[in-house]
Amino acid sequence: MKEMNDSILHEELVLLDFEASSKEDLLVRLGEVLVAKGYVKPSYIEGVLERERNYPTGLKTEGVQVAIPHTDAIHVNKPAVLVAKLKTPVVFNEMGNDSNEVEAKIIFMIAMKKAHEQLDMLGSLMEVFSNTEKLMRLDNSNDRSEVIKLLSN
Amino acid sequence: MKRVIVACGSGVATSQTVASKVNRLLKENKVKAQVEAVDLKSVDRYMDSSVAYVAITKTTKTYPIPVINGIAFLTGVGQEKELKKLIEACK
Repeated sequence: MKEMNDSILHEELVLLDFEASSKEDLLVRLGEVLVAKGYVKPSYIEGVLERERNYPTGLKTEGVQVAIPHTDAIHVNKPAVLVAKLKTPVVFNEMGNDSNEVEAKIIFMIAMKKAHEQLDMLGSLMEVFSNTEKLMRLDNSNDRSEVIKLLSN
Repeated sequence: MKRVIVACGSGVATSQTVASKVNRLLKENKVKAQVEAVDLKSVDRYMDSSVAYVAITKTTKTYPIPVINGIAFLTGVGQEKELKKLIEACK
Protein backbone atom coordinates (compact mmCIF):
# COMPACT_ATOMS: atom_id res chain seq x y z
CA MET A 1 0.00 0.00 0.00
CA LYS A 2 1.55 3.31 -1.04
CA GLU A 3 1.93 6.23 1.36
CA MET A 4 -0.33 9.03 0.23
CA ASN A 5 1.18 12.00 2.10
CA ASP A 6 2.77 13.25 -1.09
CA SER A 7 -0.35 12.42 -3.04
CA ILE A 8 -1.04 14.05 -6.37
CA LEU A 9 -4.79 13.74 -5.87
CA HIS A 10 -6.65 16.14 -3.56
CA GLU A 11 -10.35 16.68 -2.95
CA GLU A 12 -9.90 20.39 -3.62
CA LEU A 13 -8.76 19.41 -7.12
CA VAL A 14 -11.76 17.24 -7.96
CA LEU A 15 -14.36 19.29 -9.83
CA LEU A 16 -17.81 17.84 -10.46
CA ASP A 17 -20.38 18.90 -13.07
CA PHE A 18 -17.99 21.38 -14.64
CA GLU A 19 -19.25 23.40 -17.58
CA ALA A 20 -17.18 25.11 -20.24
CA SER A 21 -18.09 26.84 -23.47
CA SER A 22 -15.08 25.54 -25.42
CA LYS A 23 -11.87 23.56 -25.04
CA GLU A 24 -9.85 26.77 -24.58
CA ASP A 25 -12.28 28.13 -22.00
CA LEU A 26 -12.08 24.80 -20.20
CA LEU A 27 -8.29 24.68 -20.16
CA VAL A 28 -7.97 28.29 -18.97
CA ARG A 29 -10.50 27.88 -16.16
CA LEU A 30 -9.08 24.55 -14.96
CA GLY A 31 -5.58 26.01 -15.11
CA GLU A 32 -6.76 28.95 -13.03
CA VAL A 33 -7.77 26.57 -10.24
CA LEU A 34 -4.25 25.12 -10.15
CA VAL A 35 -2.73 28.62 -10.21
CA ALA A 36 -5.03 29.93 -7.48
CA LYS A 37 -4.11 27.05 -5.19
CA GLY A 38 -0.41 27.49 -5.81
CA TYR A 39 0.31 24.20 -7.59
CA VAL A 40 1.50 25.91 -10.77
CA LYS A 41 2.84 29.26 -11.98
CA PRO A 42 0.56 31.51 -14.08
CA SER A 43 2.64 30.56 -17.15
CA TYR A 44 1.25 27.02 -16.85
CA ILE A 45 -1.99 28.04 -18.54
CA GLU A 46 -0.38 29.28 -21.75
CA GLY A 47 1.89 26.24 -21.65
CA VAL A 48 -1.11 23.92 -21.58
CA LEU A 49 -2.90 25.80 -24.37
CA GLU A 50 0.19 25.76 -26.56
CA ARG A 51 0.88 22.11 -25.96
CA GLU A 52 -2.70 21.23 -26.76
CA ARG A 53 -2.41 23.09 -30.07
CA ASN A 54 0.75 21.22 -31.04
CA TYR A 55 0.34 17.87 -29.33
CA PRO A 56 -3.31 17.24 -28.47
CA THR A 57 -4.15 15.09 -25.48
CA GLY A 58 -7.54 13.53 -26.19
CA LEU A 59 -7.64 9.77 -25.60
CA LYS A 60 -10.21 7.40 -27.12
CA THR A 61 -10.57 5.33 -23.99
CA GLU A 62 -13.42 2.82 -23.96
CA GLY A 63 -16.63 3.65 -22.15
CA VAL A 64 -15.86 7.28 -21.42
CA GLN A 65 -13.38 9.41 -23.34
CA VAL A 66 -10.81 11.52 -21.54
CA ALA A 67 -8.14 14.14 -22.07
CA ILE A 68 -4.84 14.62 -20.22
CA PRO A 69 -3.75 18.23 -20.82
CA HIS A 70 -0.35 19.11 -19.37
CA THR A 71 2.82 21.05 -20.11
CA ASP A 72 6.49 21.31 -19.16
CA ALA A 73 7.67 20.79 -15.59
CA ILE A 74 9.15 24.29 -15.47
CA HIS A 75 5.68 25.76 -14.89
CA VAL A 76 4.95 23.49 -11.94
CA ASN A 77 5.47 24.33 -8.25
CA LYS A 78 3.92 21.29 -6.63
CA PRO A 79 2.91 18.15 -8.56
CA ALA A 80 -0.80 17.36 -8.72
CA VAL A 81 -3.56 16.08 -10.96
CA LEU A 82 -6.78 18.04 -11.25
CA VAL A 83 -9.77 15.88 -12.15
CA ALA A 84 -12.73 17.62 -13.78
CA LYS A 85 -15.92 15.73 -14.59
CA LEU A 86 -17.74 17.64 -17.29
CA LYS A 87 -21.49 18.14 -17.48
CA THR A 88 -21.28 17.81 -21.25
CA PRO A 89 -18.28 16.51 -23.22
CA VAL A 90 -15.87 18.95 -24.80
CA VAL A 91 -14.16 18.12 -28.10
CA PHE A 92 -10.40 17.56 -27.97
CA ASN A 93 -8.18 16.37 -30.77
CA GLU A 94 -6.75 12.89 -30.38
CA MET A 95 -3.22 12.32 -29.15
CA GLY A 96 -1.09 10.96 -32.00
CA ASN A 97 -3.91 11.40 -34.54
CA ASP A 98 -4.72 15.06 -34.39
CA SER A 99 -7.27 15.03 -37.17
CA ASN A 100 -9.48 12.76 -35.05
CA GLU A 101 -11.81 14.20 -32.45
CA VAL A 102 -12.43 12.94 -28.96
CA GLU A 103 -15.51 13.82 -26.88
CA ALA A 104 -13.76 14.16 -23.56
CA LYS A 105 -16.03 13.81 -20.55
CA ILE A 106 -13.40 13.54 -17.83
CA ILE A 107 -10.35 15.80 -17.86
CA PHE A 108 -7.16 15.00 -16.00
CA MET A 109 -5.08 18.16 -15.95
CA ILE A 110 -1.59 17.05 -14.98
CA ALA A 111 1.01 19.19 -13.22
CA MET A 112 4.13 17.07 -12.92
CA LYS A 113 7.76 17.58 -12.08
CA LYS A 114 10.41 15.08 -13.10
CA ALA A 115 10.84 13.11 -9.89
CA HIS A 116 10.29 9.36 -9.81
CA GLU A 117 7.79 9.13 -6.96
CA GLN A 118 5.16 10.95 -8.92
CA LEU A 119 5.69 8.74 -11.94
CA ASP A 120 4.52 5.74 -9.92
CA MET A 121 1.37 7.57 -8.94
CA LEU A 122 0.87 8.85 -12.46
CA GLY A 123 1.33 5.31 -13.74
CA SER A 124 -1.41 3.93 -11.49
CA LEU A 125 -3.68 6.80 -12.50
CA MET A 126 -3.13 5.95 -16.12
CA GLU A 127 -3.94 2.29 -15.48
CA VAL A 128 -7.50 3.47 -14.87
CA PHE A 129 -7.75 4.60 -18.49
CA SER A 130 -7.56 1.03 -19.77
CA ASN A 131 -10.11 -0.09 -17.19
CA THR A 132 -13.52 0.55 -18.76
CA GLU A 133 -15.45 -0.47 -15.65
CA LYS A 134 -13.56 1.99 -13.47
CA LEU A 135 -13.98 4.78 -15.99
CA MET A 136 -17.74 4.20 -16.05
CA ARG A 137 -17.90 4.25 -12.26
CA LEU A 138 -15.89 7.46 -12.29
CA ASP A 139 -18.29 8.96 -14.79
CA ASN A 140 -21.25 8.08 -12.58
CA SER A 141 -19.72 9.28 -9.33
CA ASN A 142 -20.79 12.48 -7.62
CA ASP A 143 -18.57 12.11 -4.63
CA ARG A 144 -15.08 13.62 -4.47
CA SER A 145 -13.65 11.07 -2.09
CA GLU A 146 -15.06 8.23 -4.20
CA VAL A 147 -13.39 9.73 -7.28
CA ILE A 148 -10.06 9.81 -5.47
CA LYS A 149 -10.50 6.26 -4.21
CA LEU A 150 -11.25 5.01 -7.73
CA LEU A 151 -8.09 6.68 -9.00
CA SER A 152 -5.82 5.61 -6.21
CA ASN A 153 -5.33 1.87 -6.44
CA MET B 1 20.28 -5.20 -23.47
CA LYS B 2 18.23 -3.97 -26.42
CA ARG B 3 16.95 -0.41 -26.35
CA VAL B 4 13.44 0.80 -27.13
CA ILE B 5 12.69 4.51 -27.18
CA VAL B 6 9.50 6.40 -26.34
CA ALA B 7 8.98 10.06 -27.09
CA CYS B 8 6.11 12.49 -26.66
CA GLY B 9 5.45 16.20 -26.95
CA SER B 10 6.84 17.38 -23.64
CA GLY B 11 9.00 14.55 -22.37
CA VAL B 12 7.74 14.59 -18.81
CA ALA B 13 4.44 12.92 -18.10
CA THR B 14 3.30 10.84 -21.03
CA SER B 15 6.49 9.26 -22.38
CA GLN B 16 7.84 8.45 -18.91
CA THR B 17 4.58 6.79 -17.88
CA VAL B 18 4.38 4.77 -21.08
CA ALA B 19 8.06 3.82 -20.72
CA SER B 20 7.51 2.47 -17.24
CA LYS B 21 4.35 0.59 -18.25
CA VAL B 22 6.01 -0.96 -21.30
CA ASN B 23 9.10 -1.88 -19.26
CA ARG B 24 6.87 -3.75 -16.85
CA LEU B 25 5.04 -5.55 -19.70
CA LEU B 26 8.32 -6.55 -21.36
CA LYS B 27 9.67 -7.86 -18.06
CA GLU B 28 6.47 -9.90 -17.55
CA ASN B 29 7.03 -11.38 -20.98
CA LYS B 30 10.69 -12.06 -20.21
CA VAL B 31 11.91 -9.82 -23.01
CA LYS B 32 15.42 -8.46 -22.55
CA ALA B 33 14.93 -4.85 -23.61
CA GLN B 34 14.99 -1.51 -21.80
CA VAL B 35 12.53 1.27 -22.65
CA GLU B 36 13.79 4.84 -22.38
CA ALA B 37 11.83 8.08 -22.59
CA VAL B 38 13.67 10.50 -24.84
CA ASP B 39 13.09 14.02 -26.09
CA LEU B 40 11.02 14.14 -29.28
CA LYS B 41 13.68 16.24 -30.96
CA SER B 42 16.41 13.65 -30.34
CA VAL B 43 14.52 10.62 -31.67
CA ASP B 44 16.62 10.48 -34.87
CA ARG B 45 19.83 10.21 -32.87
CA TYR B 46 18.64 7.00 -31.25
CA MET B 47 17.76 5.17 -34.48
CA ASP B 48 21.08 3.31 -34.74
CA SER B 49 21.03 2.12 -31.16
CA SER B 50 17.36 1.15 -30.76
CA VAL B 51 15.29 -1.82 -31.92
CA ALA B 52 11.91 -0.05 -31.82
CA TYR B 53 10.30 3.38 -31.41
CA VAL B 54 7.13 3.67 -29.35
CA ALA B 55 5.45 6.78 -30.72
CA ILE B 56 2.90 8.84 -28.82
CA THR B 57 2.79 11.67 -31.33
CA LYS B 58 1.82 11.56 -34.97
CA THR B 59 4.67 10.18 -37.06
CA THR B 60 4.98 11.80 -40.46
CA LYS B 61 8.22 10.19 -41.58
CA THR B 62 9.32 6.60 -41.99
CA TYR B 63 11.89 5.18 -39.61
CA PRO B 64 14.43 2.39 -40.12
CA ILE B 65 13.12 0.60 -37.04
CA PRO B 66 9.57 -0.61 -36.28
CA VAL B 67 7.24 2.09 -34.97
CA ILE B 68 4.81 0.99 -32.29
CA ASN B 69 1.63 2.89 -31.46
CA GLY B 70 2.26 4.09 -27.91
CA ILE B 71 -1.26 5.46 -27.43
CA ALA B 72 -2.46 1.85 -27.20
CA PHE B 73 -0.59 1.54 -23.89
CA LEU B 74 -2.38 4.62 -22.53
CA THR B 75 -5.91 3.68 -23.51
CA GLY B 76 -5.54 -0.09 -23.43
CA VAL B 77 -7.23 -0.15 -26.85
CA GLY B 78 -5.16 -2.33 -29.18
CA GLN B 79 -2.51 -2.83 -26.50
CA GLU B 80 -2.15 -6.58 -27.06
CA LYS B 81 -1.46 -6.11 -30.76
CA GLU B 82 1.15 -3.38 -30.21
CA LEU B 83 2.83 -5.37 -27.44
CA LYS B 84 3.11 -8.41 -29.77
CA LYS B 85 4.63 -6.16 -32.46
CA LEU B 86 7.11 -4.76 -29.94
CA ILE B 87 8.13 -8.18 -28.63
CA GLU B 88 8.77 -9.27 -32.24
CA ALA B 89 10.98 -6.21 -32.79
CA CYS B 90 12.99 -7.06 -29.68
CA LYS B 91 13.84 -10.56 -30.88
